[in-house]
Amino acid sequence: MIESAHALTLTDRRDRRFGWLMASPSLALLFLVILFPVFWAFYTSLHDYTLISPNFDTFTGSANFIKAAEDGQFRHSLWLTTFFVVAVVLLEFLLGFLVALALNKVERFKAIYYAILLCPLLMNPVIVGLIWRMFLHPNLGIVNYLLSVVGIAPVNWLGSTKIAIWTVIMVDIWHQVSFMIVLLLAGLSALPREPYEAARVDGASPLQCFWRITVPLMRPVIIVTLLIRLIFAVKTYDLIYIMTRGGPGISTDFISYFIYRTAFVSLNIGEASAMSIILLGIILALTVYLYRYMRSLT
Amino acid sequence: MADIVLDRVSKIYPNGVPAVREVSLDIKDGEFMIFLGPSGCGKSTTLRMIAGLESISAGQLSIGGERMNDVDPADRNIAIVFQNYALYPHMSVAGNLGFGLQLRHVPKAEIDRRIKDIATMLGITELLSRKPAQLSGGQRQRVALGRALVRDPKAFLLDEPLSNLDAKLRASMRTELIKLHQKLGTTIVHVTHDQVEAMTMGQRICIMKDGEIVQVGAPMEVYRNPANTFVAGFLASPPMNLVSGRLEHDQAGLAAVAGTARFVLPPALRDGYAAQSGNAVTLGLRPEDFHLSRGNVKLSQAVPVATVATEVLGPEVILVCELGGNGGPEVMVRCPRDFSASPGQPLTLHYDLSQIHLFDKTTGKVLSRPSLI
Ligand SMILES: Nc1ncnc2c1ncn2[C@@H]1O[C@H](COP(=O)(O)OP(=O)(O)O)[C@@H](O)[C@H]1O
Ligand SMILES: [Mg+2]
Repeated sequence: MIESAHALTLTDRRDRRFGWLMASPSLALLFLVILFPVFWAFYTSLHDYTLISPNFDTFTGSANFIKAAEDGQFRHSLWLTTFFVVAVVLLEFLLGFLVALALNKVERFKAIYYAILLCPLLMNPVIVGLIWRMFLHPNLGIVNYLLSVVGIAPVNWLGSTKIAIWTVIMVDIWHQVSFMIVLLLAGLSALPREPYEAARVDGASPLQCFWRITVPLMRPVIIVTLLIRLIFAVKTYDLIYIMTRGGPGISTDFISYFIYRTAFVSLNIGEASAMSIILLGIILALTVYLYRYMRSLT
Repeated sequence: MADIVLDRVSKIYPNGVPAVREVSLDIKDGEFMIFLGPSGCGKSTTLRMIAGLESISAGQLSIGGERMNDVDPADRNIAIVFQNYALYPHMSVAGNLGFGLQLRHVPKAEIDRRIKDIATMLGITELLSRKPAQLSGGQRQRVALGRALVRDPKAFLLDEPLSNLDAKLRASMRTELIKLHQKLGTTIVHVTHDQVEAMTMGQRICIMKDGEIVQVGAPMEVYRNPANTFVAGFLASPPMNLVSGRLEHDQAGLAAVAGTARFVLPPALRDGYAAQSGNAVTLGLRPEDFHLSRGNVKLSQAVPVATVATEVLGPEVILVCELGGNGGPEVMVRCPRDFSASPGQPLTLHYDLSQIHLFDKTTGKVLSRPSLI
């Protein structure tokens, strides 16, 4: 890259100043609502700041971080979130890829399929949670009713410590799988047609075409889709808040919900801030990787 | 044995386009066959049907005596070089070359050996680790060719493989392909819309138009005896001059008349064409059959012309002139490189009457003529 700062003409410099001027309101707003809270959270995480005594009188340094790291419940939440994220991303990917492959072959009514697919994606997670909580109600929900029709005993979808996490995973898949489908489908339909013809003449079976051509050509799309979905899955909060409140017990106590509880139920803002910073670190690392990867493609 | 036989093969695309109509052709084992025709005449479609990439709507295709209509392309053991190369973008050049062999479970050492041989032959050894995106058009073309060669198939189908190359590379690849065919002796079907390629490369040319075969024959045979005005106007550059005229009887005998220019037919042709006397015809006059002097042309006809322009090509000069003098139909004439004439200048040229072609005015078909000595 050539640093062209010296070569800037007067017009260039004026344009640049005008650009900053035009961007300044949004930049100020971004600073106010994003950067400031982040710094505030970081500052808070270094102090013994609770809602009972909301002040920065006691500087505790890394004590909140150490306490969080040693907290069994925090670690449980981290592990649970990891499990949820991996399960959700993998299942959504497999399901999404299958559906995308099928839809890629469809010629007619493509628009209608797209419209149906996009419906869940357009819904607010809170609405999704509410709908499914009603569907899955142990006595009044339609799911258990339908099961009883075919003679299956009712399932305690959200009330059992074993089943609840899988229920949440299932609802999340219902809600988010279209995202995968739409992205992967876009990738698939952008693939060149010629290599497939060449491969057929070269003697490749459809399965060999898939593994040797489709998958490698789709690699960038797959990685980007997985990472975007991963980052969003780590932050899952609304669904838990509406459907289980982390329960039963702590069986669906994901990290964002646990942080929320630490802050506003246990009123320990300092420790919650420390946990947020840890979570931010994890997400930031993922984002940086995603960004680097996307840059490396061009 | 890999002779390719098309028996009344047709292709109608799902959208109703009849791209190929009742094409019958017998491509012999080891033959270098050219498909020549303007863009959109169904050359690629025919080739893709032979490869199995396009279903055959009607008719029968057999390769080596076996019916192939419903055989999967993978099982035809035919290699195709696509017009746009269709390399595997995610594989290195070596990967591209070896893919077909891997699928056929050729041992690794054997694959490496063959890749090396082909790469040496095509001069792409230094490129083996590169990806297609890092290659120039000519290099990609050679890789695409290599991918076909490495597999030792029954036949090669080449779809305008030289069309994306610059003139110099194209000329050298032309020779390379001819040499290759001499060395391997494998059947080659080469599609092109370039008549120079067609004339120089093939053992036989199959000229297509609007999904149908117009004429099949050895290059010189097609050049000497074009079956109709389409072939006459398509082959060679500049192509045959096509001038409308009439056959007339006069005191000198039977003559083909175009405007004020008269071509008195030699006695040998006279009887053959006598029945057509009075009919409207199209005269076919090759630019190279006009001569500046009588020289040693046995049967010649002096024709007055008026110069319109000259195009200096270097090895030769193309004279554009009006046949029969001012206001006559425009024709092109090949002249030696030292020729010059100014616009408007009248000249007398001598046409070699043994090379006159006459076509039916309405159908465009050649009027069959008795062969000359
Ligand atoms: N996939 C297709 N669907 C419909 N029509 C097609 C298709 N491919 C080619 N055609 C039509 O068939 C005709 C022959 O095409 P093609 O064989 O590609 O010609 P060429 O290779 O001689 O230029 C053209 O009119 C073209 O528009
Ligand atoms: Mg074509």
